[in-house]
Amino acid sequence: MSALVLYDDELDEDCYRVRLFLSLLGVEARRVVVDVVPGGEQDSAAFRAVSPAGVLPVLRMDGQAVCGAQAVLLALAHGRAEWLPEGAADFARVVHWVQFAGGPLRAALLMRRASLFAGVGDEQSARRRAAVAALRIVEDHLAHRWLDGGQWVVGEGPTVADIALFPTVALCRDWGEEHSAYPALRRWVRAVRALPGFVTMPGIPDYG
Amino acid sequence: MSVTGEGGWYPLMLSADLAPDTTAGSTMLGRDLAVWRDGQGQAHVWDDRCPHRGMRLSLGFVREGALACLYHGWRFGADGRCVHIPAHPDLSPPGTIRAAPLRVAERWGLIWAAAADEGGALPEDDPALAAVSWVPVRSLRIEAPWQGVAGAIGLPEGELAAVLDRDVDGRVLAALLPVGEGACMLHLLAAELAEVARLHDLADWGQDVRARAEERAGQVFLAGAVA
Repeated sequence: MSALVLYDDELDEDCYRVRLFLSLLGVEARRVVVDVVPGGEQDSAAFRAVSPAGVLPVLRMDGQAVCGAQAVLLALAHGRAEWLPEGAADFARVVHWVQFAGGPLRAALLMRRASLFAGVGDEQSARRRAAVAALRIVEDHLAHRWLDGGQWVVGEGPTVADIALFPTVALCRDWGEEHSAYPALRRWVRAVRALPGFVTMPGIPDYG
Repeated sequence: MSVTGEGGWYPLMLSADLAPDTTAGSTMLGRDLAVWRDGQGQAHVWDDRCPHRGMRLSLGFVREGALACLYHGWRFGADGRCVHIPAHPDLSPPGTIRAAPLRVAERWGLIWAAAADEGGALPEDDPALAAVSWVPVRSLRIEAPWQGVAGAIGLPEGELAAVLDRDVDGRVLAALLPVGEGACMLHLLAAELAEVARLHDLADWGQDVRARAEERAGQVFLAGAVA
């Protein structure tokens, strides 16, 4: 594999998904910082030449610019069976949750962005309810997994599904959701934090 | 377990959800709490406020049997007294610097705290509760007034915990923490020797209770596609 290049924004949780996974894999990538807030650099002609829709993060690998966190995670997990199971059933479960992280769970990501960068006060907004509902889907899943003795989203160990979900879940305090309301998520956040090679970002709880 | 008066005991969380040497947050009738367990397994419940700068102690960490604040690392021992100030390592902190401990008890797989310093006996040993050991199933946050949830699941008037025998197979211990006006935590435990499938049924029943209580309260949480 030729040298990897990551187009990265330090405060963006989608970019953190990829930084976290690279670190867990022990894979190095050259970082190109994209100044989103306040610079708006994702809309610059130079960045659009790399990522036509302005989507972050971008991982350039083998000449291909892979755009968007879910795509980058799957591209990095390819060929690593411990992170992306090869069996059809577990593969299906993993991609189900990767899709969920890039779909319904985006309500939580948008809540956080609005809270941190735009300032919203209406905590009973439709957006908050959709975000809470998405967190609960993960909480309910992990509560059931725990009853079966399972600690991870799929199977016996961490997969790329855990990494796809982790940042948005762990950062929910940024938009006012306390981890005390989600005991199964809290337990799982601790397990992810304890993985060898784990790296943090501002807002991820260090303890608890 | 009585909620009448100010001296009642409140079920904060499942004992299983507080590992040794960890901290957690909880909220009891709008009062924010730091819940932590020392290396010997003893649970502690304090007001969630560092006496130094008011930082939330629930965000801190446990070191050498003391809870350390995340902000400046002041450490507080089991009795709440400050035992170490990193910026002044040779100073013996005066006894007046003290976190505010609540009374705490662990019974039937739950961590309980008392709302007031005096009054209210320890959670009494209810024979129905003490006769079996309870397997933790899960806790759910419900965004609806706790009184409505208590009525819906059949808790006796004035009680925050009871053995239920309805809706699902076998005996169920349900405990309810009033978080505030419009929110509560429902803790569910099953009588031991329950099969795993029954634990899943009970967890599902909890989700059902949550959905119905929130619908009655006009709170509908529906995930969906996000543009």
